[in-house]
Amino acid sequence: MSLLERYVQPSEAQIPTVSHHGEIPSGQPTTTIVIDGQEVVAVVGETILRAAQRAGMNVPTLCDDEKLAPAAACRMCLVDIEGMDRPMPSCHIAVEPGMKVTAKSDGLFQMRRQNLEYILSDHNAYCMPPCQIGCPTHIDIPGYLDLMSKGQHVEAARLVKEVLPFPYALGLVCPAPCQEVCRRGLVEEEIAIRQCHGYTGELALEMEEAPTPFPKKTATGKRVAVVGAGPAGMTAAYYLALDGHAVTVFDRLQKQGGMLRYGIPEYRLPKVKLDKELNSVWQLGAEFKGGKELGKDFTVESLLAEGYDAVFLGIGADVSNEMRVPGEDLPGVLPAVKYLRDNASGIPVPVGQGTRVIVLGGGFTAFDCARTSRRLGAEVTIAYRRSRKEMGAHYTEVDDAEHEGIKLEFFVAPVRVVEKNGRTAGVEFQRMELAEPDASGRRRPVAIKGSEFVMECDVAIAAFGQTPDVEFLEREQGIRKTRRDTIVTNAAFMTDRPGVFAGGDAVIGASTVIQCVGQSKLAAKAITRYLEGADMAAVANEIAAEEQVPELIDIVPYKPEEPQVRMPFLPFEDRAKSFALIELGYDKSGAEKEAARCLQCVCPDVGRCHLQRLSLEHGLTNNRFHRAEPVDYHDYEYDFSHDFILRDLNKCINCTQCVRICRDVIGANCYGLMGGGYDSIVTTPWNVSLSYTDCVSCGACAETCPTGALMMRERDLQTYELDVVRCIYCGDCVEVCPHGALGETPNFELSTYQRFGVTVLAKEELAAARTWKPSEHIPTNEETHRSPVRPPEVRPPGPPRWGA
Amino acid sequence: MPASTATLLSGARVPATNGEVGPQEIIDRVERSGLRGRGGGGFPLARKLASARANAAGGDAFAIANAYDADPDSPLSRTLLERNPEAVLAGLALAAKAIGARRAFLYLRPDAPAEPSWSSQREGLSIEVVRGPGGFMGGEETALLAVLESKRAMARQRPPYPAAQGLALRPTLVASAETLAWLPYVVGSGAQPRTKLVSVTGAVRDPQVLEVELGATLQDILGRAGGVIGELKAVHVGGPTGGLLTKEQLGTRLDFDPLREAGTHMGSAQIRVLGDGVCIVAEAGRLFAYLAKETCGICVPCRVGTKRVQGILEGISSGLGRTDDLPWLGELGDHLNEFSLCGFGITSASILRTSLRSFAADYEAHLGGRCPTGTCAPTRSRRYEMMAQP
Repeated sequence: MSLLERYVQPSEAQIPTVSHHGEIPSGQPTTTIVIDGQEVVAVVGETILRAAQRAGMNVPTLCDDEKLAPAAACRMCLVDIEGMDRPMPSCHIAVEPGMKVTAKSDGLFQMRRQNLEYILSDHNAYCMPPCQIGCPTHIDIPGYLDLMSKGQHVEAARLVKEVLPFPYALGLVCPAPCQEVCRRGLVEEEIAIRQCHGYTGELALEMEEAPTPFPKKTATGKRVAVVGAGPAGMTAAYYLALDGHAVTVFDRLQKQGGMLRYGIPEYRLPKVKLDKELNSVWQLGAEFKGGKELGKDFTVESLLAEGYDAVFLGIGADVSNEMRVPGEDLPGVLPAVKYLRDNASGIPVPVGQGTRVIVLGGGFTAFDCARTSRRLGAEVTIAYRRSRKEMGAHYTEVDDAEHEGIKLEFFVAPVRVVEKNGRTAGVEFQRMELAEPDASGRRRPVAIKGSEFVMECDVAIAAFGQTPDVEFLEREQGIRKTRRDTIVTNAAFMTDRPGVFAGGDAVIGASTVIQCVGQSKLAAKAITRYLEGADMAAVANEIAAEEQVPELIDIVPYKPEEPQVRMPFLPFEDRAKSFALIELGYDKSGAEKEAARCLQCVCPDVGRCHLQRLSLEHGLTNNRFHRAEPVDYHDYEYDFSHDFILRDLNKCINCTQCVRICRDVIGANCYGLMGGGYDSIVTTPWNVSLSYTDCVSCGACAETCPTGALMMRERDLQTYELDVVRCIYCGDCVEVCPHGALGETPNFELSTYQRFGVTVLAKEELAAARTWKPSEHIPTNEETHRSPVRPPEVRPPGPPRWGA
Repeated sequence: MPASTATLLSGARVPATNGEVGPQEIIDRVERSGLRGRGGGGFPLARKLASARANAAGGDAFAIANAYDADPDSPLSRTLLERNPEAVLAGLALAAKAIGARRAFLYLRPDAPAEPSWSSQREGLSIEVVRGPGGFMGGEETALLAVLESKRAMARQRPPYPAAQGLALRPTLVASAETLAWLPYVVGSGAQPRTKLVSVTGAVRDPQVLEVELGATLQDILGRAGGVIGELKAVHVGGPTGGLLTKEQLGTRLDFDPLREAGTHMGSAQIRVLGDGVCIVAEAGRLFAYLAKETCGICVPCRVGTKRVQGILEGISSGLGRTDDLPWLGELGDHLNEFSLCGFGITSASILRTSLRSFAADYEAHLGGRCPTGTCAPTRSRRYEMMAQP
């Protein structure tokens, strides 16, 4: 009996093909087929796709639902079957004894990829926002900007702190990779994303208790030592403390902050406010031990011996690279990191009114040194061996420095430091020029012979980047370092020594604050999983899966032009000799206005969308069918008029799952195809609002929709108020609920249904909770949280009607 | 027209079938005659009948004569029903008898003329005249079943074939009116089905529907339609999804297999002559524009693919083409052929395959910025561009 025949049998003659858990009930007639060389036991009459899925094989499909008759519409599940002259949809063909099926081959992969490219070429919708991909922490930028624009700043701060614990500090010092890719830039100017979270962060500072993304978890009884109180260490400490571990942070300097305090000058980040923000870590119960140096006061070994269950090394990179020219040991030649640190901790530096300073380098640190020296009254020149374009510092900083009276010298490389009376008197430079492009297309600077000249100075500051200080490793077992003096970790941020993790600059070399935060957020997750006893290879996979996913479509909807809300800055004349903060911060109305400029170019279905998942699996990161005439694409109106179900036809891929589930399972028959040819689209009769159809608001269509074309309106239905006086315990609600969201309990029926949250509680869980009272918290456990929603039983559609 | 070859259109008396001929005997006689489906696919009718009969096993079954003429330029069924309706109705009755069906349908275009007498009762069989929705897809055999089930005309995946699960999921024989019209001659008088109706259109002096011998060359057939007007550039054989054959291929014989070898198919049996003033790139673009309008919309390769191929072809004919468009079209043609759900998408690849192979010069000329015939005006100002991820 074939599958289609089974659908027209009287319901009593139907037998369930397989249980919903996948095992075959005893007494079912089975047969064996071969899929990709593997023998698979299949129930007679079931489809190849179902047999493959039960055997754990991933055959891509977008239009299949086990409750429904097959449509073979999406053409993703096509497989080669021996003896058939063309690929056949596995969702449609019933198994036959001895069938030989090829579900994975290069040819099929390419064809499926082409199919996806077609689908995406007419999928007129946003997918991932580029800013979220651009930021190393993958922070939900459209989410917090939306909250901010509605004035919900505390909620916004909580959302930000899910991945970014220090939004105020980052709001001032981040180079904002998110803003470079902002789609608003295609309209006129990008959103001031960094300044916006800076505003929420500043607002949170005023609160007595800093908002947290979620309540601190109950204590786990595990102890974690974090070495380094810089951005990496503090981020890790924040999330580890939130996860309920007892965290101790060690630092060799007396105060917290690491490079944020000792590297970034006061005029960019006021230390009083920084402390306020970092204190949120101590509010969570973590402990700080300053003035304790790894390798001197304690070792990794001793920490583990003291009973710490895990160690996180966030030691940063704070050894300035050498100049490697003669004379660099002379008094008056300063390493950049030491110079900034001394100045920040109040130790006198040999720079003052009228000192002639040369800063060598072109990165952030070079500009920090130069602008600090300028504020101390010095005459400053920055010497860089390439052009302005190649400078590592952000262009705004380069411009600001020039305006503050700092001279810039390009295409010069130091040859030696000139000595006079045992002190530095100048630096001898050689002029550079760009060579012809090499094999990689880059033009390297080369020296021009005989172009040497001397620039006089009293102090030369070398800012050629930094490396981690890993001397302590000589006394440690089982932690390796690379040639670049960084610590070696695996994809789960664990060093070769179990329980010892590392992250931030110590692993990736000197980088930006936001990169360290992004790494430490993941490392904290890995540590928690490690302390739970998880398999670290699986954790590495989890982290890889969480990491960035490419966006799939780039379109710009019409928005009226509106320039960026300007950040107020300290005037240049007030900056001389003043370490006052130069970026003054948004006020409430400015921040809200700026946040409202966000295009919200994100699909709420991201992460659940099967089209996105399959596209990523097929490596589809480009599309050849873009930017042609308007007739080549569809632009439909949204239908957001229904109380529970949102419809966006632009995302519809005509898989017809909603048509079939509404007709054959629910019986309301709200959907069908409209239009002809390329313009065919699944919609309601005459494309009316869903409210005017026979819709029963069951949500089955939204649940089965493989994309974001049909979505449940976000709402909180965690608890129904049940009027016990009026309930007659008929059980009707339990019977008709298509999701099994209602269950029978010893007390009475109740519902918990939360589509976007963690769980749909099914009958089994509720029935198992024999002692549960409706006034109590709903009983769940982690396992049931993860189990998929159980589909309802198949209801046969009955014989189709046909014309007279 | 030599009288010996014409049977269906000759007005020859339809032999009365001996009521004694049983269902199995009908199938046996059809088998001996080697009758192949005239609807375009060329599937042996006897196998369809036998399969439907075995699947029905005495239960409900249906017989359907497809007189829809999906390709409006090839009104074969309409001509046949005008000249020899009795052959179609008698054939339908014989087929119904062979598979044990008690209901049969004569399926027409919405605008086709019909006699009230065609809806009839004969020997316990009721024949009903039904009309499709219009459009090209209305004639596809499974879309036709959907129409009879009061649904939108959309194709259904095969297998299972209609002979196993057709109308209301019961075994159903769907055959073209022309195929069924052969049945009374084959069963009643043992005739050999040697001819095929064709529609000759385009740049010929006397466009008409002809009954020609299977195996006649295209050159002969064009001669019978009064010959070509002017210079012949290409012959488009098989209807909108058919391939384009060159002047050198005029010796191709009109039969199922030779046409397939030439890169096209019998299809709607339209033989359309394109004169030397036709630019093949623009012509292919027009064909795909028609297909993108007519696709039923169920499967991705056909719904989106035809539109995208149309866009690329229009881009080339508008002077926006690039050299890598040609391999790209080949790739998309393969995809249409391999991954489409029904014959519509599968066969439409032949337009691309034949034109890219035989009329490469036209494409090259357009890529070089010049229309080979000087007839193309730009139809679009923007072409498809690659959008890469940042």
